[in-house]
Amino acid sequence: MDDYVITVLSNIGMISFIALSAYLLLLTGEISFGQQAYFGLSAYAAGAATAMFQMPIWAGILVGACAAGIIAMVVGALTLQLSGLYFSVATLAFAEMARLILLIVEIQVEVDGEMVGPEGANGFHGIRWMFERDISLTEFMLLIYGLLALTLISLLLVERSRLGSVLRMLGSDDLLAEMQGLNTVRYRILAVGAAGVIAGVGGALYAHFTTYVEPQFFNVMLGVHALAYGLIGGLGTAFGPLIGVAIDVGFLEAIRFIQGYRMIVFGGLVAILLIFMPRGILDEERVHRLKAVFSRRNHARA
Amino acid sequence: MIDFVQNTVDGIMFGSSYALLAIGFTIIFGVMRRINLSFGATIMLGAYIGTWLHVQHQVSVWIVALTTLTSTVLVGIYVERLCFHAIRRSAVLASMVSSFVIWMQLEEAAIHLLPERTYAFPALLAAGSFELGPFLFRAEQTSMLVLAMIMVGALHILLYRTRFGLALRAVSESSLAAAYMGINAAWVTLCAFALVSLMGGVAGYAILSTDAQITPFFGLWATFKGLIAMMLGGMGSLPGAILGGLLLGVVEAHALWYLGNEYKDLSAYLLLFGMLVLRPGGLMGQRILSREALAFRRV
Repeated sequence: MDDYVITVLSNIGMISFIALSAYLLLLTGEISFGQQAYFGLSAYAAGAATAMFQMPIWAGILVGACAAGIIAMVVGALTLQLSGLYFSVATLAFAEMARLILLIVEIQVEVDGEMVGPEGANGFHGIRWMFERDISLTEFMLLIYGLLALTLISLLLVERSRLGSVLRMLGSDDLLAEMQGLNTVRYRILAVGAAGVIAGVGGALYAHFTTYVEPQFFNVMLGVHALAYGLIGGLGTAFGPLIGVAIDVGFLEAIRFIQGYRMIVFGGLVAILLIFMPRGILDEERVHRLKAVFSRRNHARA
Repeated sequence: MIDFVQNTVDGIMFGSSYALLAIGFTIIFGVMRRINLSFGATIMLGAYIGTWLHVQHQVSVWIVALTTLTSTVLVGIYVERLCFHAIRRSAVLASMVSSFVIWMQLEEAAIHLLPERTYAFPALLAAGSFELGPFLFRAEQTSMLVLAMIMVGALHILLYRTRFGLALRAVSESSLAAAYMGINAAWVTLCAFALVSLMGGVAGYAILSTDAQITPFFGLWATFKGLIAMMLGGMGSLPGAILGGLLLGVVEAHALWYLGNEYKDLSAYLLLFGMLVLRPGGLMGQRILSREALAFRRV
């Protein structure tokens, strides 16, 4: 594979993390405009860990994901009372605050005679772990997809478990869930925190893939795209957001020849898709039907 | 002290444009219980079409203003048909994402029309300023404040003195009950959309005249300022939208003066986040019902 294909595939992989993160919250019925904040904060934290403090990459990813998860839980606790548009706008406000603060922050340390660290609006240069260790693009792509597979499997397992049903119940009627004796506060903070961790893993990988991060990348466009992926692909299964990302990145790459008219075509197509499939391609109903087809086939074989 | 008053005055002047944008959001939210993310992009495309006529055919300023308004209304109707009318009422999320992708579409269309980064925007009034005691007033900002007051007054008459206003308020209250009373909710919604786009067009024209330039970032800017101002005031509340817009303007003006440009937007978002955490309903909105009250209502 040439570098171009690997880069596109790696981008699909890394963006998938933030799409899955937004999807997890959509399951609980909350629309977040702010998942890009956890992606960005983790990119900075993980970059700082490896570039400024010479930690290995696994520690960097761990630091980034934990930082994102903890911050997400704090934001989740503060916004517990909010739902619907109030929650969406609160997450948006938080994410923009985080981005604007990163535009101001300047902390640099000297590493091997060079100043390394976040440099305000100039971004954070020199996260060179990949080059220092001589890791090829292909190897890094395998790392991305390995972690993505791990995340996806965990999400699929959660969806099959009792926890998955509880989360969907919070999404369809949280008052009823509370009357059933469920601790909705605990589950909501858990979901918000887990979504933060997932976005954080993606952000940590992103920082090391590009070697350079700047606050401008984590603007609200990234967050709204992440939401759109889940909705295009479908809210019935964790594969949905991945289909959404593949359609967006893959389709936009494929129609490069109509450069300049891509969003006009793509935007129109998605708008029409949403008229006919308001909960995405793989919505709950279709997932259910597909499962029935598969289980019947298995029965026939046995 | 003089600085403080001057900043407050500047903030109120600029806040009046935020208020006009917020009114657009609040009416649409009231009528549809859904949010139109492409509101800013709609205004931007309208203004781009007007500017394009000016750049390509050197038409007079009045024609630019008129084209801006008509095209904003037409684009608004396109958004309503595609993202809101066609998608069933319960699919709130689908409408929102749909209006987002259409935002991207409108933005690209605007950039095709005028591919440079910035264009001079033809203003109706010449820039100027006058002094009143120790305070400086810019003519175009003052006219924006006056325009905003006239529009709010006209809107008030429309909403509270006409049959259409009554129908619109009825649909906002409960579209089902309104339908039982023989009101065509779909038609009222479309008219509300056209009305809001018209107001957005006027607001957009006034803001762009003050800036004297137009860039592709205008859509994002208008959507966010309108959304923040609406949330500060309380969703669905008309006085709230005005108050929220003015508050946002004043806070931004002070932050800019005392803390610097980096802190201007930061203070706005901090104010919004704080407001949502401490007083979720906004300044004038209804309080969010407590869970016990919701449960009691259901039983």
